[in-house]
Amino acid sequence: MSNKKLYSMKLIFCVPALLAISACSSLGVEPWERDVLAKDEMQLVTDPIEAATDDHIYFSKEASSGGRGFGGGGCGCN
Amino acid sequence: MAVADSVVAVVAVINQKEGNPVIKKKPKSVSKALATATCALLGTTAMPVQAQEEPAWEFNTALLYYGEDDDRVQDVSIALLARRLFADDKILTLGLTVDSLTGATPVGAAPLDVVQTITRPSGNSTYDVAPDTLPLDDTFLDTRYAFNASWQQPLGRLYNGNVGISFSKEYDYVHSGVNAGISRDFNKKNTTVSLGFALSKDDIEPIGGTPMALTPMLDVGDLSNRLGNETKDVVDLLFGVTQVISRNLLVQVNYSYSDSSGYLSDPFKILSVVDPITGDTLPRVPTPGVDGPSHQFLFEGRPDERVKHSLYTQAKYYMSGKVLDISYRYMTDDWDIDSYTVDARLKFPIGNSSYIEPHVRFYTQTEANFYRATLSAGEPLPMFASADYRLGNFDALTAGAKYGWKTGSGHDISFRLEYYMQDGDVPSGQLIGNQLQRDMYPGLNAIIFNFSYGFGL
Repeated sequence: MSNKKLYSMKLIFCVPALLAISACSSLGVEPWERDVLAKDEMQLVTDPIEAATDDHIYFSKEASSGGRGFGGGGCGCN
Repeated sequence: MAVADSVVAVVAVINQKEGNPVIKKKPKSVSKALATATCALLGTTAMPVQAQEEPAWEFNTALLYYGEDDDRVQDVSIALLARRLFADDKILTLGLTVDSLTGATPVGAAPLDVVQTITRPSGNSTYDVAPDTLPLDDTFLDTRYAFNASWQQPLGRLYNGNVGISFSKEYDYVHSGVNAGISRDFNKKNTTVSLGFALSKDDIEPIGGTPMALTPMLDVGDLSNRLGNETKDVVDLLFGVTQVISRNLLVQVNYSYSDSSGYLSDPFKILSVVDPITGDTLPRVPTPGVDGPSHQFLFEGRPDERVKHSLYTQAKYYMSGKVLDISYRYMTDDWDIDSYTVDARLKFPIGNSSYIEPHVRFYTQTEANFYRATLSAGEPLPMFASADYRLGNFDALTAGAKYGWKTGSGHDISFRLEYYMQDGDVPSGQLIGNQLQRDMYPGLNAIIFNFSYGFGL
């Protein structure tokens, strides 16, 4: 990979990351305020099998996949 | 200070439960006491904890039924997910899924007012399609075994890393893949930035070989336009930010990039070659004494590269016991497919141990730039063409609910029932003559039923 391309790649990933971090620094809670966030039902994926099943169904019936995680494939159904 | 007093009291209770002296050490500061107590309560390792959790296994099992109407695809699937929790927040995850698929699936050919005979994908025999009926291949039969494993662990105080492998096998398709990711916490763990990649290599090995793109379907036994096996490579990159907004609100935003290259066509899909005036599929006469297609069909051909970009955002909001989970995804690719997905779930607690969770999902996509309902005999052959309805213009709706409860021994049980429907249309400029009176786009209605059972050991 050329230096210029590498620099562009770094910019693509680092600039949004830095912007997000600085924009988010004023948000959030203190460690002792995490009682609700620690609940099972507040996890981003509460049922991994159901999430995987749904991703598999929609991957095989629609032209889109991924988003929440990788949408690579691994099935001859599409 | 009342808060500090109560925290010291909590620390004291915890120490008492562990059989230690009531207060081993006087906390050096209120903030340290607060953090220690919070981490002890949450079981996290943000601060040094006094006791490590014992290694434990968690199992999630599920039985899925997916059934389309009109005797189309039926899938019965069994899934097992095992998680081994080690000390220091290290997690091993193993997943195994077995799918059993049967039923019929649209082949891409257009309906016609006479019987159509079509050669099966294997090239070994033919089947007939009744007049005014959407051509379906009823030899759709497969069993798929999928296995995946991943390892996740903290890397220092702020980083978390994971690596994984995936493998699946069907009769005519093999997938193998690797993935890895790293995340870093910022702002008192209120912000998490993650980066991941996945590589997959798939082998496509259809019986009779993969057909050459846009070549005619031939008589039974004639495999002269078939190639050997093909491969497909997929590279996925994912960049995500998870942000705690408030005590009750969590938001995630992901950008993902996916590059597929190699054989991206479906070896079982065909297109009808039609009369440019009537829109009827042109007849064909098989070689005397040999079975073969009664009409002219071409095997589909898609580009050998596809780049997709997705923007996904999800929010979880806690409202006095109820949890709203809402997500939105925009996807665009260089096949000119744009799609939008909105998914919403609301979990209502019922009593202390059960819940009901209604779910609705709306999806819409535009057609690929090479989507063609049929090919007209009067026009030059395009470079790429597919009549696969999944590359067409359609909307989809999922609606249903899940009901679950926790047993007295702490096991989780749930049932989910959902209805999935697709409704699309062929771009009006593509319909010719008699096609305007025919149902050229296969809709889809399906039932999804899940039973899941989770327990720990």
